[in-house]
Amino acid sequence: MFNMIIAGVGGQGSILASHIFADAAIRTSVTNGDNDIKVRVGETFGAAMRGGSVASHIKIGSDVYSPLVPEDKADVILGLEPLEKLRVGVSYIAPGGIVIMNIRKCKSVDVKTGQAEYPSISDIIDSFKKLNANVITLDATEIAIKAGTAKAMNVVMLGALAACQKNLVPRKILEGVIKDRVPPKTIEVNLKAFELGFNKVSEDLRR
Amino acid sequence: MNVVASSRINEKVLLMGNEAIARGAIEAGVEVITAYPGTPSSEIVETLAEIANDFEYYVEWSINEKIAFEIAAGASLIGARSLVAMKNAGLNVAMDTFMTLPYTGIKGGMVIVVADDPGAHYSSNEQDTRLAALYAEIPCLEPANQQEAKEMTKEAFELSETLELPIFLRSVTRLSHASGDVILREIKKQSKKIGFNKHWKIPYRWNVYGPPGAVSKHRWLHLQMEKSKNIVEESKFNTFTLPINTNIGIVASGLGASYAAEAISELGLKEKLAFIKLGFANPLPEEKLRKILKGLKKLIVIEEGDPVIERQIRSFAQDTFTEVEIFGKERKQILNPYGELNVDCVAEGISKAIGLQVKENQKRSNIKKEIQKMISHRSSTLCAGCPHLGTYWAVKKALQDRKGVHIVNGDIGCYEQGGYGVFSHKINPTDDNSKTYSISSPCEILDTLYVMGSGIGMAMGQSQAGYKDGKILAVAGDSTFFHATLPAVVNAVYTQADITYLVLDNSWTCMTGHQPSPTTGRGTTGEKVKVIDIPKITEAIGITCIKVVDPYNIEESIQAIQEAIDFKGPSVVILQRECALQVQRREKYKNPQTFIDRDKCTGCKKCLSFGCPAITFDSKNKVAGIDSLLCVDCGLCNQICSFGAIALKKGNNYV
Repeated sequence: MFNMIIAGVGGQGSILASHIFADAAIRTSVTNGDNDIKVRVGETFGAAMRGGSVASHIKIGSDVYSPLVPEDKADVILGLEPLEKLRVGVSYIAPGGIVIMNIRKCKSVDVKTGQAEYPSISDIIDSFKKLNANVITLDATEIAIKAGTAKAMNVVMLGALAACQKNLVPRKILEGVIKDRVPPKTIEVNLKAFELGFNKVSEDLRR
Repeated sequence: MNVVASSRINEKVLLMGNEAIARGAIEAGVEVITAYPGTPSSEIVETLAEIANDFEYYVEWSINEKIAFEIAAGASLIGARSLVAMKNAGLNVAMDTFMTLPYTGIKGGMVIVVADDPGAHYSSNEQDTRLAALYAEIPCLEPANQQEAKEMTKEAFELSETLELPIFLRSVTRLSHASGDVILREIKKQSKKIGFNKHWKIPYRWNVYGPPGAVSKHRWLHLQMEKSKNIVEESKFNTFTLPINTNIGIVASGLGASYAAEAISELGLKEKLAFIKLGFANPLPEEKLRKILKGLKKLIVIEEGDPVIERQIRSFAQDTFTEVEIFGKERKQILNPYGELNVDCVAEGISKAIGLQVKENQKRSNIKKEIQKMISHRSSTLCAGCPHLGTYWAVKKALQDRKGVHIVNGDIGCYEQGGYGVFSHKINPTDDNSKTYSISSPCEILDTLYVMGSGIGMAMGQSQAGYKDGKILAVAGDSTFFHATLPAVVNAVYTQADITYLVLDNSWTCMTGHQPSPTTGRGTTGEKVKVIDIPKITEAIGITCIKVVDPYNIEESIQAIQEAIDFKGPSVVILQRECALQVQRREKYKNPQTFIDRDKCTGCKKCLSFGCPAITFDSKNKVAGIDSLLCVDCGLCNQICSFGAIALKKGNNYV
């Protein structure tokens, strides 16, 4: 069984990213003839259209039934936003799990008005290390801007994920689903974003 | 192309629960589909509206759930297959017709889909509508996953026609809003057997008062439910895994069965205890359950919501010769009777019931507790450029100028975020006069908040009870105006209640995902329709003090609100401005022109208290800033700044 959570803030595209990955997992299982592989995506988001905490749970395997990842059982947490990553990660990351984190902060209105504090990136990384997780960081927003639009940050993160999970869902299948699921006019930018995210993490892992 | 409309049979695809229900309806040859938007149910009709051109069915966003229900029922009485979808609270609106329709039954298959919200993620309450299926005495199906959601929807039409009863399909947030693998099957052609027979099988079939009267029709309903008891005993949606050497059993329904299946395998109990998975759970397969009960010492009931099945099993266990102990949400409690389930709490509950020791890693939980301390709350906000931001700032200013403890009655919608937020920690709930805090942010304008339209009625109650300590207001959106407040406006005029009703008209039903409303000018499938004019309606009803303003103009909005609250008798202020997100979707917005003049900014943070997420603050240099990714140049913050530090460069689209 493979469990993953994508955490972010409303409007960042975490739900689309989770659907792309889950769809790719289904296509992979069909390609490999694994008929008992099941895929579930559970979504948690608040009432607001924008700006709230969002977490998508993705589960792939033969013994998968429910849409939510149990506590301490997430093999990977993909964080589109550092604080949201920590909020979800602290409860769900499995010991030895991988944490992939966009380091670009999205400050809440609570932090902006001085009612709350935003922890430092190094404190967030240390927290995951204390929970025995492996942390990979990247400025996915910056990379997405290089690819053509900050909005493709979620796809940069999918590229980063693909670089860590080469066996679960092949890169080719993921790219195929991206083509099918993003708005037609943005296919090129998104494929570029995916490649840049993939290359960045592949290089970091080689080092 | 939307995969829900796909003709690729036997293909395995990823579908959201709501999409799976939509697909099931198409596969069954559905002919009429209705709903009022309500999270987590909205995507059923949203999907069917999107692909409507590929099919022959009729689909509509109705004005409210009662009307949606009646349209589906009316279609069914003349033989059409119909589906009506709503959220938990929506059923309360449809309740009158819902309770009486089963007395006559229906003709064309009718499926009532209700999406409950355990955990109250998007709802005012956690009501378990399976109780409504019991109340109305109709069969209820509970899917455990997306594949079943599709199969059950399809099967429900057949079942409905066999029993001549509407069928209740109960979904929950974690099913409707979760996705899973679903295998597509053939799409059935519509039967098109439409016709009317006043005395179909029973005299005065479609008239509950018609001879021999309502009691006789109630008796007929009971006979039909007896028939459904036979069907449920053989239903493929109920599965029984019964190992020989066990005296422990689990009965789990709907999504609860999915959590239970995972918990069982996690605890290493697979094939070691009896596992009864119920999908067709009203009526219960009582005969089979009775037999199983006799061999058990312990029975654990797992269901999402109230202990509906647990109570029924306990009730018939009484007259079954058994010493079984029943664990669930009451008496031998292993699960909370509130909140939602997950694998962890279900595994813990099962362990507790059968006396398994659960290992807890104390060191890891301590580390987690430490880390949790640094995770600050992320309050939800209105969007950048949201017209409600302007409205709430104007309400706040208008009321601050008038002495007293004013009451603002709220409503459900995006604007409900005017009722809670980042400043709520200042409130002391033990204070007798708890409204002593001043209105200091757009996040604490609303004082009461219950359900759609309830604020207007409550405002009238406050007025008629003689409240004189301050002004009495109520807010509601344009979609709510039509859904739930028209009779209230008539009532206010008829009784001359001294209240002010603010209609926050942003032309869409936004919070549920931007469905069209009668103010949009678009119909369900995007066709052009006439806008229904709220000012003219209020005038026709007899409101004499009506103000129409643009909430992007704060001064004018304050003035309009003050004139309305100073007016004796019922008054209405309509604050009209289209949802900023919809404008952006249509007119791609680039490079906002709003900027902060760093020389003029004093760092007073007044603009931050306004609550727009596009306003940032550089605490090192003590100056405000504009987030260019979010800002839409609405021009609201520059009206708020006391130092003229926020300005617009030339060439913006809005002001």
